[in-house]
Amino acid sequence: MSDRSLASRRSLGSRIMNPKYIMIYATIGIFLVMYLFGAISYGAQGFTTLRTITNLFVDNAYYGISAVGMTMVLITGGIDLSVGAVASLTGMFIAYGTTVLGIHPLLCILFSLVVGVGLGLLMGWVIHRLNVPPFITTLTGMFLARGVCALISRESIEIKHEMIDSLASWKIYFMQLKDGEWVKIKPISYINFNVILFIVVLIAGIYILQKTRFGRNVYAVGGNEQSAKLMGLPVGKTKILVYGFNGLCSVLAGVAYALYVKSGWNLSLMGAELDVITCAVIGGTLLTGGVGYMVGTLFGVLLKSMIPALITFNGNLLSWWGKIATGLLLLLFICIQKLVLGVTGRKKTSKTKPIKE
Amino acid sequence: MKKKFDLTAITKSKLTWAVVAEVLILLVCLIVRPDFFKISYQESTGMLYGSLIDIINRSSEITIIAMGMTLVIALGGTDLSVGALVAVSGAIALKFLRWDVLEYTTPGDYTVCSYALVLIVPLVVCLLMGLFNGLLIAKGGMQPIIATLILMVCGRGIAQILTNGKQFTTGYSPFRVIGQGSFLYLPMPIIITVVVVAAVALFVRKTAFGTFVESVGINRSASRLSGINAQLIIFIVFALTGFLSGISGLIYSSRIMSNDSNNAGLNYEMDAILAVVIGGTSMTGGKFSLAGTVLGSIIIRTIVTLVYYFGIASEATMAFKAMIIAVVIVLQSEPVRNYFSKRAKKRAYAVKGGVI
Amino acid sequence: MAENNLLEMRQIEMTFPGVKALNKVDFTLRAGEIHSLLGENGAGKSTLIKCLTGVNKKDGGTITLEGKEIQPQSPQHAIELGISTVYQEVNLCPNLTVAENIFVGRQPMKHGQIDWKTINRRASELMSRFHLSIDVTRPLSYYSTAIQQMVSIARAVDIQAKILILDEPTSSLDDNEVQLLFDVMNELKKEGMGIIFITHFLDQVFAVSDRLTILRNGQLVGTHKIEDITKVQLVTEMIGKDIDTIFSLKRAEVADGEADMLVATHIGAPEKLEDMSLNVKKGELVGFAGLLGSGRTETAEMLFGATRITKGEIAIDGSKTEIKKPFDALVAGMAFCPEDRKRDGIIGDLSIRENIALAVQARKGFLKPISTKEQNELADKYIKALGIATPDAEKKIGELSGGNQQKVILARWMATNPKVLILDEPTRGIDVGAKAEIQRLMLEMCGEGVSVIFISSELDEIIRCSNRIIIMRDREKVGEVDGETCTQDQILSIIAEGSTAAGGEAS
Repeated sequence: MSDRSLASRRSLGSRIMNPKYIMIYATIGIFLVMYLFGAISYGAQGFTTLRTITNLFVDNAYYGISAVGMTMVLITGGIDLSVGAVASLTGMFIAYGTTVLGIHPLLCILFSLVVGVGLGLLMGWVIHRLNVPPFITTLTGMFLARGVCALISRESIEIKHEMIDSLASWKIYFMQLKDGEWVKIKPISYINFNVILFIVVLIAGIYILQKTRFGRNVYAVGGNEQSAKLMGLPVGKTKILVYGFNGLCSVLAGVAYALYVKSGWNLSLMGAELDVITCAVIGGTLLTGGVGYMVGTLFGVLLKSMIPALITFNGNLLSWWGKIATGLLLLLFICIQKLVLGVTGRKKTSKTKPIKE
Repeated sequence: MKKKFDLTAITKSKLTWAVVAEVLILLVCLIVRPDFFKISYQESTGMLYGSLIDIINRSSEITIIAMGMTLVIALGGTDLSVGALVAVSGAIALKFLRWDVLEYTTPGDYTVCSYALVLIVPLVVCLLMGLFNGLLIAKGGMQPIIATLILMVCGRGIAQILTNGKQFTTGYSPFRVIGQGSFLYLPMPIIITVVVVAAVALFVRKTAFGTFVESVGINRSASRLSGINAQLIIFIVFALTGFLSGISGLIYSSRIMSNDSNNAGLNYEMDAILAVVIGGTSMTGGKFSLAGTVLGSIIIRTIVTLVYYFGIASEATMAFKAMIIAVVIVLQSEPVRNYFSKRAKKRAYAVKGGVI
Repeated sequence: MAENNLLEMRQIEMTFPGVKALNKVDFTLRAGEIHSLLGENGAGKSTLIKCLTGVNKKDGGTITLEGKEIQPQSPQHAIELGISTVYQEVNLCPNLTVAENIFVGRQPMKHGQIDWKTINRRASELMSRFHLSIDVTRPLSYYSTAIQQMVSIARAVDIQAKILILDEPTSSLDDNEVQLLFDVMNELKKEGMGIIFITHFLDQVFAVSDRLTILRNGQLVGTHKIEDITKVQLVTEMIGKDIDTIFSLKRAEVADGEADMLVATHIGAPEKLEDMSLNVKKGELVGFAGLLGSGRTETAEMLFGATRITKGEIAIDGSKTEIKKPFDALVAGMAFCPEDRKRDGIIGDLSIRENIALAVQARKGFLKPISTKEQNELADKYIKALGIATPDAEKKIGELSGGNQQKVILARWMATNPKVLILDEPTRGIDVGAKAEIQRLMLEMCGEGVSVIFISSELDEIIRCSNRIIIMRDREKVGEVDGETCTQDQILSIIAEGSTAAGGEAS
């Protein structure tokens, strides 16, 4: 018994130092450095207030939702370029359905879910069974979704529906006790439905990856597909379901975006897929597969959205610097990854001696 | 003589699907528009006009980039940064060409520097950016898709900053020639494309470069052991692709006589990759076909034109594009190919058995 | 039939197109036994194992497990039947933790969730059974190959396997780690598991097995109790003495005063090759004997720059040459036919013509192309000279038979007019006729003044062709004998016992 507790205590200590978390630490570390930088430079303009953080969530919830699904796809060693288009298509379905056809938005969302998940599963099947590279398969999916968008309408359609309006304007304000009365925190900070949706999807993602066999199979497939097969894991099923799940996330991201802008447009979210992939990579997910954490992705999303926030606070910089900063951040992270992988790789060859009891 | 015949047979079989597709699409075009193949001469511009010429003209930008992309894909990689480089190239050119409203009241033949610089600097910058990609991939050992993602994200930002986020216009007529001029009765972009395609084809097929690219793409380890400098090959291919993106960017900005960092070259990487894949070059690398790529690029443009004839929005062409591509990739997919090659092999076995 | 046999494989037959890979092979395994399976490459060991694990389907014969006939359909099916395999390359997921690698796919669940506590606790218990006290929550890639190997075994043990197949598990382990593995194997044996052990290290066979079975060319040579056989006997049975003399080969003639063409002094690299010196004279053929993993291939790769040397130096034709990459070696006049033809030799989708011209072209650089006409001449010349069976030079090399592929690779290097030609197992996996032809070509090249280094697992062809034979063992050179005067027994005993015992048991 004492042996066991000793073992668990040791694992508790080493759990924090576990090398598999290095990339998350890097992401969180850089996030903190940037926050600190913002706090020092723009503290006077109110950078350190709660509002900055809540705005990061409110303005980027749809990216976050999509990034959850993307992380899972990337962990299997795949890629999905269709997410932006599918999200845009969802917005189009909702806008056209409610405003033009007068269908209840819930039905529109349900229809979008069927289409989005169906397309995801189909792409997964093509990737697995026909062995078509994920890049080409999902690119085709993207073209298809964008094309259908444009077939529906080329104009931006405003969404007019009570349910959507009330959902979009629904907010939870942060309150504080002042003079014995609850008042809204100044500057006004709130979270909305999108943020809650993001958090729910994120928690679902964490649960699936960490607590279900399916989630662990996702990691195994990304780690070494051949081995996973030899270990008797359902490789094909896992891959197909992952693309299906990502389809689901894309649709939810589309719903969140529709609530955010309250309209549908066939050209909305152009290039969003690469932003989402960038978020995941900055969050420590390897494009080669097998490595990635939802928590990392959360910070990846926050980190990436912090850049425009900082530029806004600066006021003098052109917003284009954001793109360059994002690119540099990406380069930095890929270099860190190379370094980390190099170090762990070296460890492997310089044989750690087994400790004999 | 015999060998040459065999060679054409091989290329034919590779291009068959693409040719068939193009012919079918053209036939449909003809049915929709009986005057589809009509080409007329317009004296005022000294140019030939017609749908066919327009298709080839409009596919120039993609065709030029796809020449480089073919080599990248033959190596087993992808280059996502080409679209961003198109924007960068245009931004630099227009920075030099800008027509300053405060000094001149009408747009005319004004530049802030010599015309040579206007053309050379964008190309050199794009070449260097291509080299940067090559550096990350060959020396840094990164996956091409991630390495080129960096410039894809950064590139448009760089283009915006170069022009301070402004959209310049120009009236400089020598620059207009690139995208809107004509030579030998043909639009200039077609001439440029022909020159580029010929130059790349000569470089690739008249030197051993093409064979080396294929060799590295098929089996990098065996190529290295045969003495091929795989890193150098990768470097050259990515630098070339960057350079070609630069040319494409010049044509694009000359067409609109302006820079548009947001939309210039948008999705060009995807179109170029598709042109290559439709042209019969496999995403897994190896044997490539430049002729196939040219055809692939023209097919994409023909689909766009056809859909336009039907009165469907240009954005909606993507859906049709997707369907045609889906058919091509399914036909090219491993299980389907295996099915065909198994049948072919059975035949080959019978032949071989006869020989030995 | 013995009653206590856990596994019986009777009259197993397996045919690949053109080759009889297994010819009526019998194999039995008892419960609580470690049974070694031996044979050189291509002898049929892995084919036999693949029949048992369901990777390949046998063409004939029966497999009986505990008295019941079985037909393994897939690796997964074999595992369900109680047959677990640990492969040479670790077949686990490097990104998952040690504990997870043991349990993935059959994790214990609690309230519909994965029970991580139980997984980690049970994994720790399992590893401590193997005398390993490691943190099982770290990713597998964090640990050495030895520990990864142990984890594969732990996974195999935990799924209650009856039979454990260890396919060359020791090739990347050091002595301590091997000992640890043996301890575990002995413990499992005591528990009644039947273990099939495949290795190239003969010392290990004698250290751990109860019985051994030897295969050669797809045929059963014999099954022996470990007490009944000596190392020399074993090696003899493995390599075989039957010499096929289709061609009468004449050894290369080397004048006494001939200058050294290639001199390597004390070359080596960590974990690849300890230390190696050799010299090859102009027109001489030097053979490399030794078992797989003895360092022969590593030496060849270092000479050609495929692996960089970290010490020592190489001189070609009297001048010191720094070889950093294969291109340097190519320019210096070396040529190298690698061991794994498919992985390192052929460019499968290119034509015979392009494959032949590749090295010459690589040396010239791509800017000075060889015209198609010259390429055709080159290709036609070698297709004729080497007797490559093909309708024309435009056929893809990937579509040729193994022997013809090897000839094309040989042609690729002959076309460069090399000073030194290194051939690593050029005759492996090709039929007898082509084998003799390649040997003849090799000797012809010696006659033209090319120095040849010839590596082979088959001792008789080395003795038949070589002027001198260098014998390697445990990543070191352990002996050198004269090709004309040596005997097979002499070499065998050096391989088996090391240089100190040379000749000791040979009589």
